[in-house]
Amino acid sequence: MWIDPTLWPKLHGASTHFPVALTMTAALCDGLGLAWPKSSPRKAQLHGAGYCTIILGALGTFPAVLSGLFMTKGEAWGHGALLYHHLFVWPAFALLVGLGLWRGLVGSSPSPRSFAIYMAVLFLTAGLMAAAGYWGGEMVVNS
Amino acid sequence: MRFSLEIKSLGWAVLASLFSLAGAWLSIGPIKGMTAGGPIVSAETSTEIMPSAQVIDEGRNFFGQSCSHCHGDDAHGDEGPDLHNLAISNARIATTIKKGIKGEMPSFAKKYDDRQIAELVSYLRTLR
Repeated sequence: MWIDPTLWPKLHGASTHFPVALTMTAALCDGLGLAWPKSSPRKAQLHGAGYCTIILGALGTFPAVLSGLFMTKGEAWGHGALLYHHLFVWPAFALLVGLGLWRGLVGSSPSPRSFAIYMAVLFLTAGLMAAAGYWGGEMVVNS
Repeated sequence: MRFSLEIKSLGWAVLASLFSLAGAWLSIGPIKGMTAGGPIVSAETSTEIMPSAQVIDEGRNFFGQSCSHCHGDDAHGDEGPDLHNLAISNARIATTIKKGIKGEMPSFAKKYDDRQIAELVSYLRTLR
């Protein structure tokens, strides 16, 4: 069966931006939610948005990772920019899946202590995603 | 009660992370099998032009002169990485040859002109 050789790069490009953007948005919404006054209904809305976006972001990592593996013909590490991309992608992928599932099970308003740890890991994951995106962009720009 | 749910959920989250990573890594073998043989292209370089045998021979000569020392005579890697089935575009390969990689690979911009580097890239593309 003939498959267009540009299919996987196109699918990877199309799918990979969703988890990146959703993770950033989750960090932003939950971060703002923490800073918002307790009495404001906006606080719950922001945490609700953070809850939805992190779960969608976690789900979005699967097509992104799978299309990337197909695009590189199963290359898990590589070298140069691809290696740097993968060094950030793999931990980000694992953390994002864990964060999405934990938040999904616990709900939109966890206890303050757990939520503080969750936020720290979320910011770390957002940073890893940004770095992975940067090196992915390097490969595209320098192609 | 809530704390207990959070701890239990943490266990599931860690398991899900590990299973996801393991799943991705275990899928590498079947993906390699499914995609073996075909060229790796980026979306930006989807047009492939088959170079002539002479061009590829020239590239092979340059490879023997400058690359095999680190990448191995068969280009399967030695000090440098395996150059078969490169997962980057022709332009990216050419840029790497020209500029080198800091601390890893020297620049060949002074040794080879653009045409010669294109010939070298054509040869590298035959390595599958």
